[in-house]
Amino acid sequence: MLQAINLSKRFKTKEVVREINMELLAGESVGLLGPNGAGKSTTISMLSSLVQPTSGDVLWNEKSIAKNPEPLRKTLGVVPQEIALYPELSARENLAFFGRVYGLKGELLETRITEVLMKIGLTDRQKDIVKTFSGGMKRRLNIGAALLHRPSILIMDEPTVGIDPQSRAYILETVKQFVEEGMTLLYTSHYMEEVEMLCDKIYIMDQGKIIAHGTKEELKGLVSENQTIELKANLLTENFEKTLIERFPTATLHIEEEVLTISMSKSEEPLATIFAVAAANNVVITSAIVKVPSLEDVFLHLTGKALRD
Amino acid sequence: MLFTLIAKQMKMLIRNKQPLIILLVMPLVLITILSNALGSIMDSGEEAAIQANLLIVDNSSWAQEEKAIKLFLEQEGVNGPPLEAMLIQFKSSDPVELLNGTILASDEMKKYIAVDYKKYVDLKVARQDENIDGILNIPTNFRLDYVKSAYFNNTNLPDLSLYLNQDNEIRASIIESVLTDWQTGYTQSAALLSADLSPQEIMSNVTSVEKLEQTLEANERKIPASIYYTVGMLVMFALYIPAFLAGFALQEVQWKVYDRILLAGVSPILYTLSIFFTGTFVAFIQQVMMLLFGMFVLGIEWISLEAMVVIIVSYSVFVGALSALMTTLQFRTKTEGIANVFNGLFITVFSFLGGSFFNIRDISETLGKIGDFTPNGATMSAILSIQKGQDLSVIWPFMLAIYVLVVVCVLLSIVFFPRRGVAE
Ligand SMILES: Nc1ncnc2c1ncn2[C@@H]1O[C@H](COP(=O)(O)OP(=O)(O)OP(=O)(O)O)[C@@H](O)[C@H]1O
Ligand SMILES: [Mg+2]
Repeated sequence: MLQAINLSKRFKTKEVVREINMELLAGESVGLLGPNGAGKSTTISMLSSLVQPTSGDVLWNEKSIAKNPEPLRKTLGVVPQEIALYPELSARENLAFFGRVYGLKGELLETRITEVLMKIGLTDRQKDIVKTFSGGMKRRLNIGAALLHRPSILIMDEPTVGIDPQSRAYILETVKQFVEEGMTLLYTSHYMEEVEMLCDKIYIMDQGKIIAHGTKEELKGLVSENQTIELKANLLTENFEKTLIERFPTATLHIEEEVLTISMSKSEEPLATIFAVAAANNVVITSAIVKVPSLEDVFLHLTGKALRD
Repeated sequence: MLFTLIAKQMKMLIRNKQPLIILLVMPLVLITILSNALGSIMDSGEEAAIQANLLIVDNSSWAQEEKAIKLFLEQEGVNGPPLEAMLIQFKSSDPVELLNGTILASDEMKKYIAVDYKKYVDLKVARQDENIDGILNIPTNFRLDYVKSAYFNNTNLPDLSLYLNQDNEIRASIIESVLTDWQTGYTQSAALLSADLSPQEIMSNVTSVEKLEQTLEANERKIPASIYYTVGMLVMFALYIPAFLAGFALQEVQWKVYDRILLAGVSPILYTLSIFFTGTFVAFIQQVMMLLFGMFVLGIEWISLEAMVVIIVSYSVFVGALSALMTTLQFRTKTEGIANVFNGLFITVFSFLGGSFFNIRDISETLGKIGDFTPNGATMSAILSIQKGQDLSVIWPFMLAIYVLVVVCVLLSIVFFPRRGVAE
């Protein structure tokens, strides 16, 4: 249905998105996961026809949207990362405006507004000026403004950023309902657990590239083939690290203060080797934990860095 | 769709306090202050630091008319010594002599009015002379007619004409007020000189004042400070509209609501068009409100409504076009720099050149001419010409300047329009 083909974006000399390929099928719920600055929002802007790709193409029903984005735009609901609302207008006025630009009017517009207000739980506050809303309420209205024309695809860019846990739970619950109702969803986040809760298919993005994708199970499988060893040690030396990399060429190393995290294939039996290398380098290991792999570690495994900083 | 966008822009303007204060409250306050503070100088000439040039064209003289007056008195049955005495009395109270020898000769008056006397001048040529602020034309039989009307209740009223050069309202008004005082003065003194005058005769003398005023009105209406500054502020403050609208548009881009509008299928052209229409509409409303304020609060009587509508609508269209241009420029630069420079520098310079604060022609004729090419200056000149009572046709050169500027703004908007989207 919606496809990205070798999609790239360069801003001046900065390559922000590099040759990514994605696919969103009808009724699917897809997560796009990545740390700050990975290029998620830029990707979404290209997918929704707002930003022209430097190279590559976006296909909607097999046709490029570059020339004619209208059919896509009509079926698309986009929830931007920013609060894209008029602060001086009331919740209802905001919805009415965005409904009207989609060509809704009269009774139909009124019923749609009422319907959306119910969905986002703002019926009580509809007459209030958006400026006076809490962060969570603004986020909810931000979602509502994308729903008036009843899109069949919803693209959400970090819809839970910067709000309290309660509001977040409410929004996640609402979005989950959309998915259950059959809405096609592309959900961007840097919270693994949100994507895990909402999405069947996940793309992981870092530094403009898709570094892994698959169903939740496939990705979990990817992780469960690996193991993570956390070492606490005095005086971690460079030489110690170097020797470890030589011994385990497929492993990823990550050092944070006195903790060395090594991620590698499960097939290896590394502990004996690690202790031997440590002894040879005069490194005293104070503790060693072999961790049961988690989804959060997928990212660590793939990139050598934590998803969130 | 267009209406939805315009309605939203109107809401943004109204819900923000700042635009309302700058676009409506400030000009009204300034009109009130300026027309009161500067009104006394402009309207009465009391403290004028400016000297007006008056040309008196006397087609006659006492010596020339004495014979005719004597003949008239004889026909009225006055003879012998009383006739001689009357002639002496009439001569000493000759209003022209009074004006030349007493009123205009005083040191006080010389500060304000420089007089030049001529006999038999081609009035058409003299009226074209921009250095002359007023021409008082005294016709051939003025003294005889005056004697007839003032002392013998004859229906022939002295036929004076005063031409005022309305290019400079302040100087023209100085001359006008002095000459009106003079005329009122001589008709009343004439009444006192003749002991057996009946009240009815005095009344008939007053009509000679009306006669002078009629001469004035037939040529041009006087522009008082209230009209001058209402128009000055009206053209100046309309120029603040584009920056507000362009600022809102930039905010919409920054808030990403612009993205939403684009996603809904609204083309950037339509969006810009909505700004054009909003600018035009707001400018029109703003100007109408100021004209109404002038009418109801300052008691101005606006004349020739059709011409006023043409001017106001044209200027509003210009404001709309400028709003659209400023919006596209801001989309290009993605900063408010252009609007800030325009508000901070251009509006002040344009208003100065256009004459919103005072008549720039007092300083320099060249600057005044340049001012007529500023949109506000052209509009102000057009409105003032119309309010002086001139024909509709005088506005077209000014309107042409406005229309050229509208076309320039539209063309530049098209040239600078960011086709590839604002996000990049
Ligand atoms: N218009 C632009 N001009 C120049 N650089 C840009 C522009 N938009 C984005 N970038 C850069 O592209 C990179 C990716 O940005 P993007 O917003 O797509 O990341 P993201 O994954 O959405 O991050 P976040 O989680 O913080 O929202 C960043 O380094 C950003 O600074
Ligand atoms: Mg983002």
